[in-house]
Parts: sequence; C-alpha cells; structure tokens
Amino acid sequence: MRIRIVQEAFDPQVETAAFAAGRDDAGALVSFVGLCRGATDGSDVRELRIDQYPGFTEKEIARMAADVSRRFDCPDLLVVHRVGAILPGEAIVLVAALATHRANAFEAVRVLMDFLKTDAPLWKKETGPQGARWIEPRTEDHARRAQAEKGLA
Amino acid sequence: MLKLVFLGKFGDLAPAHLSKVALPGDVRTLSDLKHWLTRQQPLLGQAMAANTTRLILNQCVAHDLSLPVADGDEIAFLPPMSGG
Repeated sequence: MRIRIVQEAFDPQVETAAFAAGRDDAGALVSFVGLCRGATDGSDVRELRIDQYPGFTEKEIARMAADVSRRFDCPDLLVVHRVGAILPGEAIVLVAALATHRANAFEAVRVLMDFLKTDAPLWKKETGPQGARWIEPRTEDHARRAQAEKGLA
Repeated sequence: MLKLVFLGKFGDLAPAHLSKVALPGDVRTLSDLKHWLTRQQPLLGQAMAANTTRLILNQCVAHDLSLPVADGDEIAFLPPMSGG
C-alpha cells in the first residue's frame, strides 16, 4: 500500500505506471483521478486550496486504505493526494488498485473514494470571483459513505 | 504549554496567538478547553459548537471530551472534512 500526500502537481499516468510496473501477478488495474473543476454550480473557480493536518492526515488515509484492502482482498492500493494550492485542470487525487480480478479492483477504488470524500482529514477552500468558501461534504457524499460503511461492518 | 491546531474554517477564526497557550488554571479536560476557547474567541467557539467538530488529542481521535488535558499536549480541532 502506498499513501502519499504531495504539495506539488503530479502526473497520474506516471504515478499509475510506476505503481503497476512489473506486476505480472495482477490481472486488473483500476484507477480514478479526481480533477479540480474550473467552475462549481455555475461559479468560476480560480484556485482550490486543500489543508491537511500533517502526520494525522496520512495516518488516517492509510487506516482507511487498510480497511478497504482487507475487505476486497486487494493488497495493492495507491493513494496520491494533493494539498496546498491547486489550479483548475490539475489532479487532486489518484486512487489505484491492483487485483487478481477486476471486480475487486473496481470496488476497492470506488469505496476508498467514498471514504476519502467524507473521512479524510483534508479541508478544501475554493476561491472564485465572489471570494473564498470552505467546501463541506454534500448529502450524497454522506449517503455513499454510509453505503460503503455497511459493507465494511 | 498546549499546542492547539485549528484546521479548515476554524483556522480562519483562530488568532495566531492561540496556537501555543499556557495551560489555563481552570482547564482539566478537553471539554473545559473548548469552553475556555469559547470565552477567548466567541465566534470560534460558536463555530466549534457543532456536533460535527472532532477533537484530536496527541494525534489520536478523542471520542470523549472528559479526557484530561496536560501540559505539553497537542490538541487539534477539525471541522467537517472534504477530501477527494
């Protein structure tokens, strides 16, 4: 399992290729990349800033990834998450899973993303023409997270 | 001294001098500390009063606000999180 919190822009393709290099034991590689949107609800976004709690953030994401890894028998998970100032079009998060079969890899990535949206100790602040605002999880994020939690019990 | 960490929107409401404070005489628990902070900064206290606020004591999630606070502790205040 590889968990990295990064301050600088990263290339999801390079990260994913490095993660899967030489892995002829796996039959499936699934990855998801979350991008910074240029507009939210019709308002332009100039910049997104993500704050972390150094040390704790990485530890908590590793704990979530370990839970998901056990549940889906998917020992190889990769999470790369940006913090700091992010521009529209740049990658915010990459989650990737290697597994013997595709079903486990798809589910591991989907469920881990659901947990990251509501439980990862990260805080997003969007800046646009109207000023800055802190983003909180939406009702649908909590609903997806509750669904994911059921399966972990 | 206590090290206090205010994350996300709480960071906008907490003045810099609150990041390191001498353990107040009347503060024995995390709950006491929240009340003390509310007296110092009512707006911050109001924001932190929501039941979605989580407290982290020395990098461990504090589920119980009756946990004791001691000199040298690091306490973080977390508003709702939004990763991904």
